[in-house]
Amino acid sequence: MIQKSFISIFLFLSSLCFGELFLEITKGSEDPYKIAMIPFEGNRIDSKKLHNIISNDLRRTGEFFILDKELLSPLKIVDEEINYSDWKILGMDYLVTGSVIQEKNFVDVNYEIYDILKKKKIRNSKVFGIPDQLRQLGHYTSDGIYESITGIKGIASTRLLYVNEIKSSKPESRYNLMLADADGENEKVLLASPEPIISPAWSPDSRKVAYVSFETGIAKVFIQDIASGERESVLSKETQISSPSWSPDGKYLSLTLYQDGNAEIYILRLHDRVLTRMTNQFAIDTESSWSPKGNKILFTSGRSGSPQIYELNLRKLNPKARRISFEGSYNAKASYLPKEEGIIFVHRSEDGLFHIALKYKKENFIRILTEAKMDESPSVAPNGNMVIYGIKEKDLSMLAGFSLSGARFKLPASKGEVREPAWSNFLR
Amino acid sequence: MMNKFNNTFFSLAVLVLFSACSSLQVTEESVADQSVSGVSLTPKSMSSQAVLANAVVYFAYDEFNLTSRSIQALKGVVELMKKNPNITITLEGHADERGTREYNLALGQRRSESVANYLMANGIKRNSIITKSYGEERPLSLGSNDTSWSKNRRVEIK
Repeated sequence: MIQKSFISIFLFLSSLCFGELFLEITKGSEDPYKIAMIPFEGNRIDSKKLHNIISNDLRRTGEFFILDKELLSPLKIVDEEINYSDWKILGMDYLVTGSVIQEKNFVDVNYEIYDILKKKKIRNSKVFGIPDQLRQLGHYTSDGIYESITGIKGIASTRLLYVNEIKSSKPESRYNLMLADADGENEKVLLASPEPIISPAWSPDSRKVAYVSFETGIAKVFIQDIASGERESVLSKETQISSPSWSPDGKYLSLTLYQDGNAEIYILRLHDRVLTRMTNQFAIDTESSWSPKGNKILFTSGRSGSPQIYELNLRKLNPKARRISFEGSYNAKASYLPKEEGIIFVHRSEDGLFHIALKYKKENFIRILTEAKMDESPSVAPNGNMVIYGIKEKDLSMLAGFSLSGARFKLPASKGEVREPAWSNFLR
Repeated sequence: MMNKFNNTFFSLAVLVLFSACSSLQVTEESVADQSVSGVSLTPKSMSSQAVLANAVVYFAYDEFNLTSRSIQALKGVVELMKKNPNITITLEGHADERGTREYNLALGQRRSESVANYLMANGIKRNSIITKSYGEERPLSLGSNDTSWSKNRRVEIK
């Protein structure tokens, strides 16, 4: 009885706004892992910052309930002695303790995880970096906690690409290709341009990005190195080129070329720039996306009279595209889940609204996952547990996300319109 | 033309140790390098080419076929081009914001090709026509409503 009332208060608190990230957890897992996280020892400012980063990362997954730190103060740990039965009475599954040591040139974060039920320490870890990297240290810690408890790799230390348009800005910085941490913080400009930028895509090693830029007056695909800023157009052809997707081994890009006036899919071998045509159809073929194993591509085609999703097996000689979406008159921009157990895509429902949908291979129906009017550009996290996508609110584009366990969140709108998110691979 | 700005962090090697011990996981790792160099493109001093044929034709939702009203507008373009056989025109296809961006880019291209096909069927040479698409990236009218959308589904003839 006591336990229950505690939990309901905590769930209410966890739906409030934390820091700059607007967390709107409408529905989390019905049986979340309950964690007590003691504020880390060390400098109070660093400790508080870390605590917020880690608890926001974990809450956003929808799989965790974090005991609010204000309610922890009477429960000091004396002499490293963990009183497991007290934590068990509070309904906690895990206890996290740690410390942060900041010196002039380095920061060390140490953390331990205790399993309350099994009454033992299950993890003892250290993450280190330089003072500027405190956020990253927090994300690495969150991922360590997530992995120890769920057995699945965490994605707090991954990053996002997206396009930002500021209509009121100076022309030269109207369109921006942005890079940020998975929580929307630590934003950097990769490319600022007076002309539209669309379709950002990560290389599998997350060191490079490909995107479409209209800087020459027509759509062209560029590859840019994140660290050096070096960039090049992938093909010197005069034609419009768009919709890049990197093969999982990083050796190929699939692209859409318009060289005979119509959108067709090609595969470009990067080391010698040899092009292979993959589709030959009077209708539109575009939005190709590789399977995680690299043996198939998904794409959108209008060949049936409306946009639908097709799959092409690249291991076959003269492969035939197989239609894999049948519900409704608009299914597009599909990508595979990381284990290829299903696909995520944009679906237009009968009322004309666009939603993000999921179809598992084993099921013969689709699951509509979002509820706004014009949801677009879904991108799946590398662990397959979260999806980020673009929404429109009051005519303004912004990013939203959800975890497959049911949590929903919105990223803080930076200035202007934010759209077309792309989730990186694992970075740690 | 580009210029670069750097945010260089230290590069540290990642070191992860997993203890062989039965259930206690012990790790030590450093966070990865996060150097980023941004690039700024400067606007090209567009040699603002004189607009030769200033016409716009509009399309129905999801469609790229010409309407009878569009054909009326295109008759004037055909006449103008026949009188000036040396000019080259650009057909710039656009879509409204509904649907995915890449599909809309392809749809905008289909619209400009529809116009090109009409012009060619009326005696205009292919090599005096350039087709391209901006998809939904360059709306004429902002706003998510039928009026804006119908203005944005267009081919601009320049």
